[in-house]
This record gives sequence, C-alpha cells and structure tokens, in this order.
Amino acid sequence: MAAELTLQDVSLQFGGIKVLQEVGFVVEPGQIFGLVGPNGAGKTSLFNCISGHYRPTSGTVRIDGAEVQGARPATLAGHGLARTFQHPALQLHATVLENVLLGAHSRLPGGPLEWALRLPRARRAERELRAEALELLERNGLGWAAHLPADELSHGLHKGVELCRALLMKPKLLLLDEPAAGLPHAEVETLIATVRRLREEDDITVVIVEHHMGLIAALTDRVVVLDHGAKLMEGTAAQAQSDPRVIEAYIGKDAADDAA
Amino acid sequence: MARVVEAPASSAASSFRRRPWVRRAGPLVLLVVLVALPLMLPEGANDTLARIGVFAVAVLGLNVVMGYTGQVSLGQIFFLGLGAYVTAYGVTNDWNIVLVFVLACLVPAVVGLVVALAAARLGGLAIAMVTIALPIVGVPLAKRLSDYTGGSQGLSARFTDAPEGTGLYDDQWQLYLVFLIGGTVFLLTRNLVRGRYGRAFAIVKGNENVASSMGISPYRYKVLAFTIASLIGGVSGFLYMVVVQYTSPETMSFGHSIELLVAMVIGGAASIVGSILGGAFYVVVPDLTNAIDPSLTALLQGALLLVVLFLLPGGLASLPRALTRGRRRSRAGRGPAAPPTTPSSTTGSGTAAEEPETERQGHA
Repeated sequence: MAAELTLQDVSLQFGGIKVLQEVGFVVEPGQIFGLVGPNGAGKTSLFNCISGHYRPTSGTVRIDGAEVQGARPATLAGHGLARTFQHPALQLHATVLENVLLGAHSRLPGGPLEWALRLPRARRAERELRAEALELLERNGLGWAAHLPADELSHGLHKGVELCRALLMKPKLLLLDEPAAGLPHAEVETLIATVRRLREEDDITVVIVEHHMGLIAALTDRVVVLDHGAKLMEGTAAQAQSDPRVIEAYIGKDAADDAA
Repeated sequence: MARVVEAPASSAASSFRRRPWVRRAGPLVLLVVLVALPLMLPEGANDTLARIGVFAVAVLGLNVVMGYTGQVSLGQIFFLGLGAYVTAYGVTNDWNIVLVFVLACLVPAVVGLVVALAAARLGGLAIAMVTIALPIVGVPLAKRLSDYTGGSQGLSARFTDAPEGTGLYDDQWQLYLVFLIGGTVFLLTRNLVRGRYGRAFAIVKGNENVASSMGISPYRYKVLAFTIASLIGGVSGFLYMVVVQYTSPETMSFGHSIELLVAMVIGGAASIVGSILGGAFYVVVPDLTNAIDPSLTALLQGALLLVVLFLLPGGLASLPRALTRGRRRSRAGRGPAAPPTTPSSTTGSGTAAEEPETERQGHA
C-alpha cells in the first residue's frame, strides 16, 4: 500500500533564521515526487522534517492522514517511512548483506532473550529475511557483492546498498536524498531504471530531493521547487524547467534576462 | 565470479571454520576439552583458569555496552562488586543458592537499568562520566553499609566446596561451575550479538541517525545494552565469589574498572574471543609482571597496552585477520573485486544463504 504524504504550512526556524516558510503540498499514493531548488533552498531541511530528524516549528505533516510532525524517526519507520541519506552511511566493516539486513530490523520478531536462545521463531525469521535480502540485492545487480565487506565497494554501489537496505523495510513511503549525487553518468541511468522499476513492481510512494535535473525530468510525476525556504512553484518537471522564476532562482536574474 | 561469492574476503582461518565437519565437530571438541581440563591440570592452573573465566565474563559484559554498542562505560567493576556482595550476603544468610544466583543477576541488572535510563538521555561523554561515579560511590558505600557488607573487612562465603560423592577437589568443582555458568553466558551473548540485536547495537555505535531511520531507537538500545552489561557483570560477581570466596570494597575500586577496560581493548573490542583473551590478560599479565619485578607491574602493563594498540588496534582477537589481510595485500597487487559490467550477474546464492555471519570486529 503506497502512502499519501501531506504537508501543510510547514515552517522551520533555527533561532532567527527562517529555513522553511509555510511549505505545503500533497504527494498522491504511488507518485514519484521531486523536491528541487538551488543549494540552500531548504530541500534537505524539509526532508528532515518529514523523516522526523527535525521537528517543524509549525505546520503539519501527515502520512496517510495521521499527523506525524515531531514524531521520532524510529517511530516513523512504523508508519512505513524509509529514507536514504545524501552521504551513504554504511557499516563499512560489515558485509553488504549484513548492511541490508539492518533494514529488516522492524520486521523481525522477538525480544533479546528469544534471540539469545536462538528460538525457532527468531531463526526462521532471520533465515527468511536473509533470503529476501539476497534476492533484493540480486534484483538490483548487487548479488555478487553480498558477502564482501562494504568498504570494498565504490561510492555509487554504496548508494545501491543503501537503497536495498531501505527497501527491505517494505516502506510505503520512500525518501531519497540526492540519490544521484556523485554518481557517474552510467550509474545515474541505472538509478533511473531502478526507481522506475520500483514504481511498477512495488506499491510505493517516492519523494526525491535532487539537483540532477535530468533525473528529475526522467522520473518525477510532479515537482515542487523551493527557493529561500519557500515554495516557488509546483507542477511537472517540464513546467518547472521552463518557468522563468525557476530559471532565475537557479542562475540569477541578470543571466535569466540574458537567456530570455 | 562464482568463487568470489562463495569465499568472500576469505581468510584461511574463516574458511577453515566454515567447513561443515569443523562446524559440527568444533563445539564437541571444545566440550571434551572443557570437561577433561580440570581433571588433568594441577590446582594452581585450575585456579588461574577459573579466575580468567570470572574476568572474561566481566569483560564480555563491558564488551556488550562498549565494544558492540559504543557507549563508554567506566563502571563495569561496580556491577561485578554488586553481584559479589549480593552473593556473599545471601550465602551468609543461608538463602537457597539458586535464589542467590538469580538475585546476583537481577539486582545489578535493575541498578544498571535505572542508571542507564538517566545516563543514556545525556549521550556522548556524559555516559562515561556517570559510569565513573559508580565505583567511586560504590567503594565508600560498601564501607559504610557495614551491616550488610562487613565494612572494610569485607565478607567471605564458602559455598563451593566439591559435593561429597563427586570425588572432585574443590578447585576442580569450582572450575566446572565457572565453565558451566560462564560458558552459558558466553553462548547466549554470542547469539545475541549476531542477528537482530547485534546489528542494532552496531548501528547505534556507527550512526544514530541511520539507526533511528531504521526504526531503532538509539536511546532504548543503549539502555538495553547497558542493562545486559550490568546483568553479565552481576554473573561475573557471582562467579567471583565461587572462585575467590571473599569480597571487600577494594573489589570494586575504580582502578580495577580501568584495568577491565584495558583488558577489553587488548583482547579485542566487539569480539567474543577477545573477551576471553581480555580475561586472560587481566589475570595472567599481573602475575607475570609481578614475577619480573613487582615495582614495575604498572609500567610493564602500560607498555604492553601501547604495543598492542600500535600494532593491533583491533586487539589480540584481530591478529588472524590482520595476518591474512597483510598476506593478501602482499600476494595480490590487484584491487578489490571489480563490479561486473552487466547488472544482471546471476551467481548462485543458494549456498551463500546458509553461511554463518562472521564475527563483527570493533573499530571505534
């Protein structure tokens, strides 16, 4: 079940600095939604407000109608939310498979005593999710790396592993924070294919923060452009790319006039 | 490519351990050795082994909270002392020994839980500061509460003489008790630090933001790890009374707590084998350095710590891995396995699913 995400008048303030000002939009279930804007526009801050790492100063965030602003990230995982990070944070000395299995945490049953005693229920669940994690890696072209230590993989592959880790949570809403950052062109193509496949095969809503306009144009159903913490426009990626206000925000007013 | 998947980053040692007959026969051989050893060794060696067992359990507890979960604890010896005092008090008052054992586990666990509920809120170095307070408060407290603790004199309790009819000497009986109880604790902890809880502890140590976005509350898992460490500390206190049969305020002095921490680092943080090596270090090295020159004991221990830290930051337990890594590096100038160019590599994963998780090593 893909989730619906609704933001209403979300504002965030650090001391006197207004990072976000009354941002609101609706992400329909099953949509791939883009959050774009120049550096410092507040995209990642907004992301952190959704994922619970920041608490909005005011406004509401709803997942499937339930108000979740200010909830702790660990609680939000229970609402079906998963995210990746701008800089993939893997356990470098653990194997790729162990890293991905971390995503299974909330799906595994049993308390500490049950796991210390290796009771059948825990062992069976671990075995099943291990197989599922391997299959997930396999599907994303990383099966060959499952038993390698994560530090032997490249940055781009780390991003793939992190995505698998998030997917093993079986999320209803997936937040991708700059998934294409630092990736060579060929890997961006792979990423686009992967996210497309996600929408087709898994029932999931995806929100992407990204600079890479090519990726945004290729993937998203709808985008919101942020500038200086406020919503500049909302529409399709094509509309955003031709909107003079967006061009101005990206390259400055004079250059925009020159271009026109 | 298939070989890479089957034997990833293989060290000779780990591939040896993964052979089916080794995995099946290994525990059996270990069991036979543990049963036979007390019968064959002289009294002095049995006593040393038993004391190693006691402190190996204490180091294991410290490893759960510090090695695996990354929370600095400087108070582990307090929980050993608490377990020892509870045991001594219970035995002196002729309580049922099973009840005494349960209390020696539960009382430290509850105290640990209460301390952790407050300390884990603070985060960072604050936890270390709070845990320093435990032995510092514990020692004078043990002296003051002389009705229960015997004051500075301490308490002694003999309850581990070999039962009639077993034909065992006391030292053999005690070593069996240490093997049985300590072995059980090691087995349970080994199981716990693999799988669901091990991964959660490791990510709390590694990156709390990632932990929380996986649905793992760093606070709750820090409290859990600290409570388990305290419980294991209590067990080591019970075993301490089994072997040493005497406890005084000095048992839980701050200096000993630091020595436990040093033992954990030298043995190997976040390692089960490292905990045993740490226990051995804690017991054997002072004996050896005393034999060389008692006035130089601390100096020699410090020098040894520096040598291990410089040569083997992962502790003695990381020695086999360091050796194979070094050998691999010198043998092959080739880099790590390159990704296949096609995304659809269909290397067999059937055997891979059956592979046991390798022990996670610590890198603080």
